Amino acid sequence: MDIDVRNLHPLEVKVLLHIGPGDEITAQSVIESLGFNIGQCNQAFSWLEAKGFLAEHSRKTRTYYELTELGSSYAEAGLPAERIFTLVRNQGPMTLPEAAGQLGISSKDAGSAYGQLAKMRVLGMDDEKRVTALSESLPDEVRTARDLLNKGTEGLIEEASLGEHERWIMHAISKKRGAAAAPFRTLERDEVIYTLTDLGKKFVQELVSREITGDEYGELTQEMLAKGTWKHQQFRSYNVHIPPARIIPGRRNPYNAYLTWVKDKLVSLGFEEFDGPLVETEFWNGDALFMPQFHSARDIHDVYYVKNPSHAAYIDQPYLDQVAAAHEHGWTTGSRGWGYAFDRNFTRRQVLRSQGTVLSAKTLPIAKVPSKYFGIVRCFRYDQVDATHGADFYQTEGIVLGEKVNLRTLLGLLKMFAEEVAGAQEVKYVPGYFPFTEPSIEVHIKHPKLGWFELGGSGIFRPEVSKSLGVDVPVLAWGLGIDRMALMHLGLNDLRELFTPDIERVRLRRGK
Amino acid sequence: MPKIEVVAENLYRTLGKRLTDSELESLLTAAKAELDGKDEEAGILKIELNDTNRPDLWSTAGLVRQLSGYLGRDVRCYDFFSTSEEVFETGERVVTVDPDLLDTRPYIVAFAVSGKAVDEPTLMDLIQTQEKLCWNYGRKRSAIAMGVYRSDLITYPVRYVAADPLKTSFIPLQSDRELNLVEVLDQTPKGQEFGHIVRDFTKYPFITDDNGKVLSFPPIINSAEVGAVQVGDNRLFIELTGTELKALIHTASIVACDLADDGFTIEPVKIIYPYDTEFGRELVIPYYFQSPAAVSMKDVCKLLGAALSPDEALAALRRMGVFGLHDSGSIYVTVPEYRNDFLHPVDIIEDIMIGHGMDRFEPEMPDFFTPGRLTAEEEFSRKAKEIMIGMGYQEMMYNYLGSARDFIHRMMVSSEGFIQVENPMSENYEYVRKSIIPSLLQSEAVSSNAVYPHRIFEIGKAAYADGSEPSGTSTKNYLAFLQAERGSGFNQIASQISGLLYYLSREYSLKDVQDSRFIPGRAAEVICAGKTAGIFGEVHPQVLENWGIQMPCSVCEIDLDLLL
Repeated sequence: MDIDVRNLHPLEVKVLLHIGPGDEITAQSVIESLGFNIGQCNQAFSWLEAKGFLAEHSRKTRTYYELTELGSSYAEAGLPAERIFTLVRNQGPMTLPEAAGQLGISSKDAGSAYGQLAKMRVLGMDDEKRVTALSESLPDEVRTARDLLNKGTEGLIEEASLGEHERWIMHAISKKRGAAAAPFRTLERDEVIYTLTDLGKKFVQELVSREITGDEYGELTQEMLAKGTWKHQQFRSYNVHIPPARIIPGRRNPYNAYLTWVKDKLVSLGFEEFDGPLVETEFWNGDALFMPQFHSARDIHDVYYVKNPSHAAYIDQPYLDQVAAAHEHGWTTGSRGWGYAFDRNFTRRQVLRSQGTVLSAKTLPIAKVPSKYFGIVRCFRYDQVDATHGADFYQTEGIVLGEKVNLRTLLGLLKMFAEEVAGAQEVKYVPGYFPFTEPSIEVHIKHPKLGWFELGGSGIFRPEVSKSLGVDVPVLAWGLGIDRMALMHLGLNDLRELFTPDIERVRLRRGK
Repeated sequence: MPKIEVVAENLYRTLGKRLTDSELESLLTAAKAELDGKDEEAGILKIELNDTNRPDLWSTAGLVRQLSGYLGRDVRCYDFFSTSEEVFETGERVVTVDPDLLDTRPYIVAFAVSGKAVDEPTLMDLIQTQEKLCWNYGRKRSAIAMGVYRSDLITYPVRYVAADPLKTSFIPLQSDRELNLVEVLDQTPKGQEFGHIVRDFTKYPFITDDNGKVLSFPPIINSAEVGAVQVGDNRLFIELTGTELKALIHTASIVACDLADDGFTIEPVKIIYPYDTEFGRELVIPYYFQSPAAVSMKDVCKLLGAALSPDEALAALRRMGVFGLHDSGSIYVTVPEYRNDFLHPVDIIEDIMIGHGMDRFEPEMPDFFTPGRLTAEEEFSRKAKEIMIGMGYQEMMYNYLGSARDFIHRMMVSSEGFIQVENPMSENYEYVRKSIIPSLLQSEAVSSNAVYPHRIFEIGKAAYADGSEPSGTSTKNYLAFLQAERGSGFNQIASQISGLLYYLSREYSLKDVQDSRFIPGRAAEVICAGKTAGIFGEVHPQVLENWGIQMPCSVCEIDLDLLL
């Protein structure tokens, strides 16, 4: 263990400097000479022992005497023998019950006090059975006991500190058990005796040579600055290796921060953000995307229907007529259409938006040419919620409109996403299928960590979609599956974790 | 999207070569298909087909046809299709149709095959094809149902009739006793699964031969005798019933081409309708109804961004199994009998793209400049977020769907204005949130072990029914925050709102409010420019108790769109 002498606590420093080579040191001696309390003393010993500076030398049992409640009252009011003697001396002879009554002590205590003094011929009984003083002064035993009582009020009395005579007296007025009836209680304590180790000696020299005293300043205070007292002392060095306390900062949600990063990336690539309501009509959610109303293409995703309001009041024209005509016979888009009767009631049916492409379609009527748009929007799917399916989740979608955009610019766009958003160098394009794009392309990338996976789907909007919504130029449509990258970024493998309500988990989470 | 199982051995034999997995995966992209898994022991490949407009690919035969064409093998011509101009003789092979079927399940198409004994792989693939076509393309048999029979047992003409459900009975497949049609619906698994398609009809569709021998009760189940095709049968009769004639003819074409590829001889069958159809009253199946499709080379080159020659385009189409010719700048294609997905010239262009090969198109960046931009709402919410984080708040993100228990009952609010899902998957995801506050309280309820104080917020959407909007709903961007710690309450939140709105440069005033979510006298509305922009206060202990929360909480919710 590497120990820096500057990192020792002032309590440790003082103990080390106090103890000389070969000295035996105990808690009691530290308390007496350094003014520590017992807590500080024990702390310093345990630290120093752990560091290997002190070693236990031996243990010794020491005897102490502690005033009992009775002893305290004697110390204050006097011993019964002392009091009877003084009473009789001052007021002349009186019967024992009379004396006990005046002193407010029991006749038993009064009797034993008389017996003790009578034996030493200090008190006697006259003819009328009255207690009479036979001597001028109290005997030495009583005076000594009195002194011990006084001393006891100051704290524990160690047996070793008493003279032989005092010890003899103390034994008479103390008890180990059932001590309530005696003035003193006898205590026996195990005391550990420490000595400096060789390592400790080395550090003592180190302390001395560095002039560390344990009186160095802790905190720099305002007062020190005001008075300039900081100039006269050293500051104590801190242990920089102590683990710091935890801090709980205000902070972004890491998943949201990731989505923000993607948004910023797309903005930097010239994309304008779109957004929209959570509740959509079947018109925008499927019909405008040329998904036939009752065709299996709508099996691709099952939607949540809104109970109330079940239908929108109306669908904006001329888009309703145009989309309906495109479904029925192709309208003027060059298509033959799906060839069925478009249901204008069903198209007003309200659903929870099930795909981000809805907002791409909704942007077409107001889109500039040329332009690029994107959105990271919440979608809802009728799915069993599990590690790979959420009840609601984000989709990242967008479009690029321009007279001169085509399949190759779509591939270029996908390559740019692969490089800029996913950090991939290798890109593979394969034909895909989406009801609203033709041609349709899936882009697979070799992610630095995840390996090959499908980054997204894309295509060129079918003219049935774009023309019906008022756009005559090609529209590149794309969607990126960024949740997989987000999970990897956050070190997670369960989509449900992205929306966890657990505060501690969110606090600890961080991006890679 | 349909998944099919293909016997690897058959696939590779027909393709004429064995492929590694990655070679197969790469080849499958020509059919928009993916290798979804393998059963090594049984030698089965599991393949997912992504194009819902190409039901012809949902069988081993169809997939092989596409892939071998792509590998350069010549595509076979099918010579058994009648057209509006040329009609094959069918002899005795006739199906008659009952006029009473017009309003229920009006159409039937049929053909027969012979010339080869049915073997195990053919039977398995035929059953698989039938299932996929009727389930995905036939919308779970409601639009298309298909039956295959032992032709030897049938005496023509076959009769497609509307039968009295109680007076008509037969022994269905996998049963040993005669049931009437109502009993079939009630007592057989298929009847229970598909009975809803016919249950409301007064008479049920039913197929017998000339002698009254039962073929089937479409779209539910075949008869146990004629309808039980087995390995070794030499001649088969195949019929499809449904509601859309074109889709039925198209599906019959797919099955006929598959069986022809497998070595069977196709024998046409004439259907005689008592009512008009778009192809007349007499129809011989298989029937080719597609019109030629065309696309200009200019459009091909423009959409693909590549200067393809007409020959290159034709070669590409040929690899996709599509014959075409070039004339005066346009490509004219004969749509294959088994396909019906050329709705628009762009559909031809996609086939040219795939046939030409994806690798041959060089990616190119769009060369025009457009300014990038966030929505005003996003920019404003970022400002608000920054201030909240500065005040020590942790950003949270929540699901927008939740339960009545969390959004309504625990909050002690009425259900008015909530957007409810009509078909919830579970009661846990039945309502769209109208406020973020329940989400925050849910966090608090599950986070009593997290070190306090808790300061959390979310900026997200909430939606509610709104009669003033044409859509009937409104979606708003809200900011909500919650503080849970000893000794904090109304005053701390009031200070934070003051700080927030100061730095967002919005003037505001406060108004007393009574709201069941808050302790009376300790809640206020935030008024901005004369409108209520938010509410805050100390959460009512009854609400906390409802959530099982043991720490006092104060919350605030603000409509950011209104501040914008």
